[in-house]
Parts: sequence; C-alpha cells; structure tokens
Amino acid sequence: MSIIRVFLSSAIFSFKAQFGWLYPPMWLTMKLVMSLSQMAFFVFVAQFLITTGHSAGPDLVAYIAVGNAMSVLSWNTVFSVINITSHDKWDGTLQLVLATPANRLPLFVGRAMLHVFDGMISVIIGLAYAALLFGVNFGNANILLLFAVVFLTAVAMAGFGLLIGGLSFYYRDPLVFANIFTFILLIFCGVNFPVQELPQLLQPISYIFPLTYGVEAGRKTVAGASLAEIAPLIGQMMIVGITSIVLGYFFFTTFERLARKTGSLESV
Amino acid sequence: MMLGQLRVIYSAFRLAMLHWIADPQWVIPNVIAPFVFTFVALTLFKGAGGPFGLYAVLGGGMMGMWGNTLYSSGFAIEFEKWQGTLEDVMATPSHLLHVIAGKSISNALFGLTNMVAILVIASLIFRVDLGVASPVLFAVSIVLTLLSVSALGLIFASAFVLSRYTQVFANGLEFPIYVISGSMFPIALLPFWIHPASYILGPTWGIEAVRIATAESIVPTVFWVNLSIMVVITFIYVLLAGFLFSKVETKARRDGSLVEA
Amino acid sequence: MPMLETSQLRPEPSKGKAIVAEHLSKTFRVTKGVLKRTKTPVVAVKDVSFEVDHGELFGLVGPNGTGKTTTIKMLTTMLIPTSGTASILGYNIQKDANEIRKRIGIVLGGERGLYTRVSAVDNLRYFADLYGVPAKLRDKRVEELLQFMGLWDRARDRVETYSKGMKQRLHLARGLINDPQVIFMDEPTIGLDPEIAKETRKMIQELVEKGKTILLTTHYMFEADELCRRVAIIRNGEIVALDTPSGLKKYVMDTSIVEVEGFGITEKEVCQFREASEVLAISAELGEDKQILKIQTARGSEIISQVQEILKNSRIYDMKIKEPTLEDAYLRLVEGSRR
Repeated sequence: MSIIRVFLSSAIFSFKAQFGWLYPPMWLTMKLVMSLSQMAFFVFVAQFLITTGHSAGPDLVAYIAVGNAMSVLSWNTVFSVINITSHDKWDGTLQLVLATPANRLPLFVGRAMLHVFDGMISVIIGLAYAALLFGVNFGNANILLLFAVVFLTAVAMAGFGLLIGGLSFYYRDPLVFANIFTFILLIFCGVNFPVQELPQLLQPISYIFPLTYGVEAGRKTVAGASLAEIAPLIGQMMIVGITSIVLGYFFFTTFERLARKTGSLESV
Repeated sequence: MMLGQLRVIYSAFRLAMLHWIADPQWVIPNVIAPFVFTFVALTLFKGAGGPFGLYAVLGGGMMGMWGNTLYSSGFAIEFEKWQGTLEDVMATPSHLLHVIAGKSISNALFGLTNMVAILVIASLIFRVDLGVASPVLFAVSIVLTLLSVSALGLIFASAFVLSRYTQVFANGLEFPIYVISGSMFPIALLPFWIHPASYILGPTWGIEAVRIATAESIVPTVFWVNLSIMVVITFIYVLLAGFLFSKVETKARRDGSLVEA
Repeated sequence: MPMLETSQLRPEPSKGKAIVAEHLSKTFRVTKGVLKRTKTPVVAVKDVSFEVDHGELFGLVGPNGTGKTTTIKMLTTMLIPTSGTASILGYNIQKDANEIRKRIGIVLGGERGLYTRVSAVDNLRYFADLYGVPAKLRDKRVEELLQFMGLWDRARDRVETYSKGMKQRLHLARGLINDPQVIFMDEPTIGLDPEIAKETRKMIQELVEKGKTILLTTHYMFEADELCRRVAIIRNGEIVALDTPSGLKKYVMDTSIVEVEGFGITEKEVCQFREASEVLAISAELGEDKQILKIQTARGSEIISQVQEILKNSRIYDMKIKEPTLEDAYLRLVEGSRR
C-alpha cells in the first residue's frame, strides 16, 4: 500500500512542480499550439514538394503528419523527465528527496507516468489535427490499438528518459542537453523520412530510440494494420524501453552514491 | 540625445556578448534546431534539385536567427530578474527599451553565425550550391532582416516583462513564426486566412528579399519593394515597442513586480 | 539624455531640502492561488513623512518588514507610491523621475543585483554607461572606486568568485558610480566582517564630509547612534519617532535596564515578564547554552525581586543594572505600543 502512496504523491508533486506555476488554461493553450506548429511546418514543406511535382503525393503528408504527432512524445516525455531531475537539483529538493527512505523506483515511476499521460494528450491532439486539418485518413485504423501503441510508446520513451536523466546527473545544464536531444530525434526516428534515407553509418543509431519503433507502429496502425502485424515492432520497442529503465535506475543510483561522496548534489 | 541612447544600446550589447562568452554552451541548442530542420528539409528535398537546396538552407538560417532573438528577448528579462539586476537597471536614467534592444541585437548577431554555420555544413555535407547572384544585395537584406527580427523581439520582450510565464511563451512562439513567415516554403501554400499574419511579420518580407538576391535573374524592383516594406514594418515595431515598454515600466513600478517573488 | 557632470547640478547648500517625503504610502496587491486567483492588499508603508537636509546623514531604523526598503524604493523611483508624494533635490519622484535617477545612488546590497558571470570592472562600466557618466571620466572613475573599495586587485575576476563582503563593497562602488549627491543605502554593513563594517562606516562618514547626503537604513542601533545626525524609527509602515540619537534616548531617560544572563530561561518566562506591569519592554536572546534578557523598567532596583521570582526555576549567572542606550529607546518605541 505504501508503494502506491509514494507513487501517487510523487506524481502530484511532479505536477505541482512542473505546472503549479502555470495557469491550467495556459498549459492547454501551449499544448494546442505546440502540437500543431511543428506538424504544420513539415507538412507545408511536404506540400511544397508535392505541388512542385517532386514527391509521391498525399501519402507523404500522412507520413509526416503522423510522424510529427508522435514525435511530440520526445518533447513531453524525455524533456519533462530531465526537467524534473534538474529542477530538483536546482531547487535543492533533490537532497531531501534522496534522503527519504521511500523506495526510489516508485518515486520515479510516479513522476514519469504523469508525463506519459501528458504526452498522450499531446499525441491525441496532434493526431486530431492530422485528421481534421491535413486530411489524414483514419478510416481503417483500429483506434483502440492506436491508443495502445501511443501509450506503450509514451511509456517506453519515459523509460528512456530515465536513462537520460540518470546520465545527466552531473551535467550542469541538463536543459541544454534535453533541448538538443528532442531535436536529434527528429533526424533519427523516422519522423519525417524513413530511417533508410540516413547515411548507412548512422542508421544503427536510430534503433536505440523507442520512438523509432513507435512511430512506425503508429503509422501502420493508422493505415489499418492489426495487432499481429505490429506486434514485432512493439516487442522490440518494449525491450529497448525496459533496458533503458534498468540502465537508468542503475545509473541514477550509482551517480547518486558518487554524488554523496563528492558532495555535488546541490548545483554549483 | 541619440548618442546617449546608442551608447546604452552598445553597452547592453557588449554585456550580452560577455555573457555569451561566459556561457557558450547555450549556443548549442540555438544552432541545433535550425540545423535539424535544414537537415530534414534537405533530406526531403533530396533529388528535387534546383533551388530547393538553397531554399532549405536559407530557411534554416533564418530560423536560426529568429530562434536566437526570441530566446534572448524572452529570456533576457527573466535573466535580469534572476540576477536581481532588473530593478537596478530600471533605476538608472536609461530606458529599458534601449537596454533590451542591445541584447536583442547581440543575440540576432549570434543568429547570423548560426546561419553561416548552416551554410557551411550544407555546402560541405549536402553539396548544396551556394552561388549567390548578388552578394551585396544578399548581405544588405540579411542585415536588415536581422534588425527586423530584433525589433519584433522587442515587442515580445515588453509583454514578457510582467508575465511569470516568460519562458513558456518563448518556447511556444518559435514554431508558429517559422510556419507563418514561410521560412521554408512559399506562404502561398498557407491557408488564405493566415496570409494577413504573414504580411505583418517583417521577416516574411525579408526572407523573400534574401531569396530574390540569390536568384539567377534578379528583378530589382521586386527586391527593393520587399525590402522597403520590411523596413517600414520594422519602424512600426520599434514605435510599438517603445510605447509598450513605457506602459510596462509604469505598471512594474506600480506593482513592484520587478523582483522575482 | 544629456551627459552632464553631476557636480554642475549641485544647488546652493542652504537652499531647500535634499529629501522631502510627504505621507508616502504603498499598498501591494498580492495575487494568490492557481485556479481561483484572489488579490489581497498588503500594506507595506502606511504613512511616512520626513525631511532630510543637504549633507545630512539620516537613519531609518526598524524591524524587518516594516517598510524601510519599500520607502527607499519609493524615494529612489523604483516604486510608485499608492498615495503621498516626495521630492529629491527639489525634483518630484513621479514627474521628474529621470532627473532624480541621474543624481542619486542606490545601494540595496545582498547576494543578487550584480552580474555574476562577468567581472567587477565590466559591472561598473556597464552601469556607468547606463548612468551616462561622461565617457572620458568613466574608466578612471571605475578604477578609483574599485581602489577605494579595496577590490582593484580582484577587479577582473568574475563576481561569482567574490565573497559576500566583496560583493557588498561592489554594491557600494556601484552606488557611487555616477558621483551622486544623494545616496540611499539599505543595510550597508549587514553580513560584513567587523573590520570591514567599521571601514565601511568610516567611508560613509567621509562621504558625508564631502557634502553628500545619505539616507541609510539599519537595524544596528549602535551604528545609527554612531553615524546618524537624526534617526527615524519606523514601525508597521509608520514613523513612530524622529529625533537625534540623544533626543531619542530621552524616551528612556527615566528608565534603566536590568540585564540578566542565565540558563533555563524560555519563552514562557519572557511572556511572564511582558505581562508584568513594571516591565516597559523586554528583549531576549535565547541561545542554547545561555540566555540574556534586557528588561526595561522605571526603577531597576525595585524589579529585582520580581526577576528572581519569575526566574526561580532557572539559573541566574549575572544581573546588571545599566543606563539605557539607543537600542533600548528603539525597543521601547517599537514594542511599547504592542501592549
């Protein structure tokens, strides 16, 4: 029972820490604007190509729209998790948190789950834009399956965020790190173009990120794929996700132990 | 009178540069975003040939300039609040507008270096042909667009002085501007009802002028028309910013919101 | 903004007052809550009036949160008063704010308020530019001020490497960068090592000797006593007394202080003292291994038995009867009306 309590209380704490200073309607506005603008940007670039006869046609728009809708998960999930880690460091609360006897994993999970749901909302808004504004056809899609894909991708990305969070412990400006990361994913995860378009040498990197699998699965589901068809992708994604969670936890506790020794818990 | 104002602008510019030198790691995220978009665009444009490469690269460069300025304007005032220096600055006889203008220009200048970086990488890695038909006009239009973007940043900065949500707004405004100004595609592709918004943005005209300057056959009149419209818009921005800043200063002195709560 | 030498603007010494405050008040509306935002008014300054002569060193003392800093911020044009008015060197704080800013220096001190990622020289040069210090004077003045403050050999180091005392001195240097006629200092010696604090006080006196007008706030009574020609005591946003230090001591002239040093004295005993009718005021320092009480009373000798009664469960190491100081006067004035 106490584990659930830690889980819940850390989720609420995370919400307050992240959004307590944000007026809720503002949060919603931000969501609506940000989900749209990145997608709109690349969709219009695609349409530029289409209207000048340089591309396959409307499929490109669907490809890019769905890709961008899901890519939002990198922003919300990874960025937020890192943000929380760095905020704690800056606010000086990290020391207090680590000092409590509460099992650390539920704490982390609690916070990450909040961002999972936050991310899901962003994706859903994005997919709605894709359907309503950019004419992407959702007619063949198994909506329930789509929700599941989004949810699992969000979880996997949150797990991946723990890895990044664990690694960024010592880094002075985790926000810089986070910023770079969210953009790098735009290149590597098959968001706007297939991974195969990347130089041969770089392609393996794409497969480290859960998002790569998730985007592909999402696209297939929108086009009408069944569970059986996307199961391999989901499986691979969960393996990557779980590995990141384990590694992340390991890094975090190791660095925390090191930090205790060297006394660098408070930021400079 | 003007000399004193220019001196303040220069002094703020210099202080901003010193801060950049002290914390150069903040350049990275500002370069990364436009670089990534350029990369993506170039990959999408692959095989399209023709002017597309340059289109993507110029667009990316413009975005690099814009991102920096927005970041600097929004964040600059927040930064002063954190340092606790906003009050002290406002207690001097110099106008906050000039101080922020100096910072804004310094960051737009860094944006310029972003553009150069993107151009270099694009030509080396993607082998984009960077031949510019008229280098002089190109340079002129780049510099004036820089100033236009700085001026637009000032308008946002005035709103940001009082808002506790400065950074949030700064994050949210970046992308819409990239879309509305047609940085990487003609604004003709946008829904007609967005066009008025595009036209009041100085950078929209600036980007068009820059593109014309790179074209094989330049139509001078079109170039100068675009440039002139941008200059006029920029003047309006500056006037508007001046008005907003004085309102903001009065309000801040009434509410005492210059100090971070 | 013309760049004038501020010395050209110095008025005749006997004409007018340097600072005139008339019924200044400031109420803030503080917003609380996330979903349902309510604005509650907070009165920082209720009614403050006083005048300061040219070349005077004037003190504003009071407990924390009583409006000292807010008053200074209003006088230095950082805040607009809710009501009331003030003038500095004859210039109105609302209508001629910029004229005032050119001629005054402000030292708020503290850990913030400086650009920590750059050097002291760069900080001072920047503000010199913002204040319009004539270009040819600027670098020389920056050097002189840093020399004066003993910061010259660290002048090119980043301010973030400075100690608290050094930062305070840099604040002082900045307050003088435009060679102001009137200087406002908010707790200038707080947190400084005793020797440095002493030097700072000496420097403040030197400035006054040069003809500057200084208004300073402090909660060190001995400092106010030593430096100020006149002192205003502010409590709950109002001035409760304004006089020379010796004038203020007269408030407590007819009293004496019984100072008790002991162990095992708690808040409970302090409260009991407060209730006692012969006790005019009491201040207590309740340390871990030692407690000190200063009891102000009409006739010290008569209270001794009562002291022993109240402290019967504690140990008394020492008991003295003393003459009241400015601090006691302050205490009386500040606490007196709490009854």
